[in-house]
Amino acid sequence: MLAKIAHQRCAWVAGFLGVCQFVIFAPALMARGMGALAGKVTDPAGDPVPFAVVTATSVDTGQVLPAATGADGTYKFRLSLGTYHVTYESAGYEPAELPVVRVAGPWTVVENCKLEMKDEQAQGNPDPAQQPAPNPPANSQEPSLEDLGITPAQAKGNAQAQALLDKRSRMLKIHQRLGIITIEPFAATLIASAFAGGKKTSSSDRDLHAILGTATVGLYGATAYFAIRAPEIHGTKTRGPIRLHKTLAWIHGPGMVLTPILGEIAFAQKDRGERVHGIASLHGPVAIITGAAFGLAVVSVSVKF
Amino acid sequence: MLRKLLIGILLMCPAALAGAESQWMLDGSTLTYHVSHPLHQSEGISHEARGKGICHEGQCNFLIAVPVKSFDSGDSNRDLHMLQVTRGAEFPIVTVRTRVPESAAESATLNLDIEIQFAGQTVQYKQVPFQRVVKGNETQITGTIPAKMTDFKITPPSLLTIPVKNEFPITVDLTWHKM
Repeated sequence: MLAKIAHQRCAWVAGFLGVCQFVIFAPALMARGMGALAGKVTDPAGDPVPFAVVTATSVDTGQVLPAATGADGTYKFRLSLGTYHVTYESAGYEPAELPVVRVAGPWTVVENCKLEMKDEQAQGNPDPAQQPAPNPPANSQEPSLEDLGITPAQAKGNAQAQALLDKRSRMLKIHQRLGIITIEPFAATLIASAFAGGKKTSSSDRDLHAILGTATVGLYGATAYFAIRAPEIHGTKTRGPIRLHKTLAWIHGPGMVLTPILGEIAFAQKDRGERVHGIASLHGPVAIITGAAFGLAVVSVSVKF
Repeated sequence: MLRKLLIGILLMCPAALAGAESQWMLDGSTLTYHVSHPLHQSEGISHEARGKGICHEGQCNFLIAVPVKSFDSGDSNRDLHMLQVTRGAEFPIVTVRTRVPESAAESATLNLDIEIQFAGQTVQYKQVPFQRVVKGNETQITGTIPAKMTDFKITPPSLLTIPVKNEFPITVDLTWHKM
């Protein structure tokens, strides 16, 4: 009786987590019902401003979404449909804002921004991190950065952009650790499945499989959350093994939603003393494909090919 | 007449001294950092260095500058992570300064004291050996800077919770021409 209750609870939790993942992450992955806001941030001369911080704040929900421009000054947000207040900031420039930007459909709203130089005398004592790289006083005997064609604006740091990079790295580190931890219950779930699916299985074998599966789905959801919510650095073209890593998410992501749902159907069939049949018979193959894609995703960024 | 001649010579002296000044310009560059991890050997390459040398009274001062974000390892994720750990958004330019006696600039091997500003730190490396090869009008300088993460207070990035080695040697290949 207790085992049955435990099973029902686990199955319900696994199903619930699967549905949660679908609700939370599928929109981000499929970008349905979403639009985009993109543009280029330039200086008064029309040159791109890299690492400018662009912040879109939803007028409807208050959600704050920061991003940074890439080396070419471009930025891009994927946004839920709605109205946004957008600000543009970069060290050495006057902040700029767009009070109302409407993202009304699944297309890209383009908003370019030209930043005006900040009046240096009015700045007081700026953050030392935002001051230009130290450069000795120009004289005829020592070359300076200006001699190399590097302007003070190009040499100037941007603490906000650094904070965004720091946040991205922190979140991806957690993503990486959780991903590694997830392998263990995932592997244990696959091993436990050998005792859960045959003719002579007991309900306790199935319960163990369900508990491990639930833990896997929960950890996977947390792993995915930290990857999806890590700030994007726009203007960066995805290159290298990370492309395969991201592509594989399209396999193990839906697989991780589908597997517990199919598992719950299969579980119910077994509990009724039936042979697993119909769509539930896909539970095993889907789980194996999901596991293989997940394992390959981990290996793709761990080992150099 | 003699007075006019003397004044003329005196006026020409600064011009003659100024004429003794010469300059070097960087034509091409390949800077490569090497990072070691038990699972990976990675390197990032930049060809975007700019450099200039000014020689005056027997001393040549060189400055080389390169944007941190210009280093390309072929993996955008790694490049962004390196940009983060090296605080490349806060300190976007790496500068290298060195002073070379003009006479030493003719040697096949140069042992240089170099000063690097990177990741918000200024670090000096003493007597770093560089090889010099002259090819027509161009002078090629190659060598390796024995940089360490701790020198620049960089937390070594990690993969699968294992950090990379502290050493990240930077190989330098610079082509200069004298103006």
